[in-house]
Amino acid sequence: MKKKTLKILFVLLFFGQIAIAQDEEPKLEINGFVRTYLGVLTQEPQNYSIFQNTVNLELQKQSDKIGFYINPYLYQYPKGEMNFGLREMYIDLFSDKYDLRLGKQQIIWGQADGVFITDIVTPKDLTEFLLRDFNEIRMGITSAKLNYYFNDENSLQLVWIPAFQPTILPEENSIWRPKMQFPLPVLEKDCTKKEIPLKLENSEFFAKYSLNNAFIDLSIMGGYTWDDDPAMHINKIIDPATMKPKGIKLTPEHHRLTLAGGSFSTDIAGFILRGEGAYYFDKYFNTQDPGAKDALVEKDYINYVVGLDKTIGDWRISGQFIQKIILDYDDPIMQDQYQNLATFLLSKSMFREKVRFEWFTYYGIDNQDALSRIRVFYMPYDALSFEFGTNIFIGDKGMFGQYNDNDMIYTRVKYNF
Amino acid sequence: MKKMKLILMGIALLSLSQTSNIFAQTGKEIAFKVYNRPTAKDGESDMKMTLINKKGGKRIRNIHQFYKDYGKVEKKILFFKSPADVKNTSFMNWSYDDANKDDDQWLYLPALKKVKRISSSSKDNEFMGSDFTYADMEKRHPDEDVHKLLKSENLNGEDCWVVEAVPVDDDDMYSKKVAWISKSKLLPMKMDYYDEDGELLKILTINKIQKVGKYWVITDETMHNIQKNHKTNILISNMKVDQGLSDSKFTQRAMRKGL
Repeated sequence: MKKKTLKILFVLLFFGQIAIAQDEEPKLEINGFVRTYLGVLTQEPQNYSIFQNTVNLELQKQSDKIGFYINPYLYQYPKGEMNFGLREMYIDLFSDKYDLRLGKQQIIWGQADGVFITDIVTPKDLTEFLLRDFNEIRMGITSAKLNYYFNDENSLQLVWIPAFQPTILPEENSIWRPKMQFPLPVLEKDCTKKEIPLKLENSEFFAKYSLNNAFIDLSIMGGYTWDDDPAMHINKIIDPATMKPKGIKLTPEHHRLTLAGGSFSTDIAGFILRGEGAYYFDKYFNTQDPGAKDALVEKDYINYVVGLDKTIGDWRISGQFIQKIILDYDDPIMQDQYQNLATFLLSKSMFREKVRFEWFTYYGIDNQDALSRIRVFYMPYDALSFEFGTNIFIGDKGMFGQYNDNDMIYTRVKYNF
Repeated sequence: MKKMKLILMGIALLSLSQTSNIFAQTGKEIAFKVYNRPTAKDGESDMKMTLINKKGGKRIRNIHQFYKDYGKVEKKILFFKSPADVKNTSFMNWSYDDANKDDDQWLYLPALKKVKRISSSSKDNEFMGSDFTYADMEKRHPDEDVHKLLKSENLNGEDCWVVEAVPVDDDDMYSKKVAWISKSKLLPMKMDYYDEDGELLKILTINKIQKVGKYWVITDETMHNIQKNHKTNILISNMKVDQGLSDSKFTQRAMRKGL
């Protein structure tokens, strides 16, 4: 009898220990969303611009010292095509002074909204231009990221990316494929130089120092990377009969790019003033200078943004001015010396946060083109949202005007869990 | 300027040394007693906020919150646990004793993976779609109102002063407030809020007060908007006070890391 009691006691203690251990062990958290998305072009013949179902899973487990995160996703299209991927998959190590993240991850820098100036660590998926949610535009990249905290205000972030991964552009037949203009027809395209070989010397490196206190959020950054936009090496193809150029051969190639920049954000009399800028060294630009090799020249350029945010009553208002300047400019360069862009945001939550209205516009000042996005979110229950929106493209040239035929209305139903 | 202290945190603290039999109290003296009661240096708790519409339908927000008082600045950080669409969002607020200095606020949205400094909301705005405004949750300095002791009254077994507060600023969103202040706990047991036209707008009812450490704390309260007929209930649980929370709890690093 005594033995039996001891046995029971032992079993209880054993399982008690497990229970205690399980209590201490952080739980695996499973979150994500299911979404259905249907968009239609407003111009005849009113084709569907998008018809997509999405599952997005987030698996996460984290203790004080260690954690992991996995974000698989699946896009499914009406003809059964499926696109499965892992947006992120990483391991975290934490200590008092540093955080180390290893694996495929999104790394987000800067203070700008909707534009990428110092936020160039993570490659983008522009399959649907800029219309996806930004966490879906940004792709994870396999990297090692170390944050070292000198104290609660000052920190340093170092990033090593062993293999360059370029931004994904829309397919050739996509309505979102950017229109490229060349003086002669493209007769040949050589993509053999587009790939960056997988070797150590082709790594990318980034560093960022941050200061965060009550007065200012400030960062200074530098990067030794590959240019996300491949330089278009152009060679004329001569017609042997006429000995005149009949077209061109296009060879896209990524080149090394070095940049230095920074960002800040501060509160001035109830307004949030934000800024971000970067100086890019030796970027390749196409030129019509007949003496230029492969119709390319290397120039430094500056890209910066200044923004202002304000909450007035229930309204959130935000504006940004963005400018690119090519330095030491030569007239034959095919891009303008100055490129000016503005963005504007207006949003408001109503009916105890059941309804949210949002209007976001990109405005290309030089070409007077624009993308105007008006969205209304209706959330009848927690975690469920119905989104009704329009994407209106204005103008006939420029970054947004080129998509003038792609005006669309859409609806998205999303359930978070 | 110390936002959200009185109600939201539930760390509305009082001195047990205060006794109920104080003679010749004026409304102003009572208001200062409430304002100057001892408070915890820091604390953390779970908060369940239930929004109830006129048909009785409920929407629930679960939050874990940390708070630390540094004297001239009070820091607070909220981690949203549910609903799922806001899970892992965090919000940090630093508020200052200096009435002329706006709060500093940051928001971390996990989808954007970025901490953003945000423009502080108007105090008259609803907090997260609830029936509480930011101003309702603020520890308000007594000099901002003219106080008048109306009477003493027993409310649900609690001996209370009934004090009327009329704002000095004509632009205040309320024309007056009437508070039932517990004489023993120096906490409001009920408050009536009147709109700019002098009509009753909202009633705050304190459902439960508990002692946590050395302090009495409001742990269950309901704000009822009479004119729109909807309510918000706030339940505070798992409260810990005076733990000596590290300063690193109130940083952007902590916002990104989450709970």
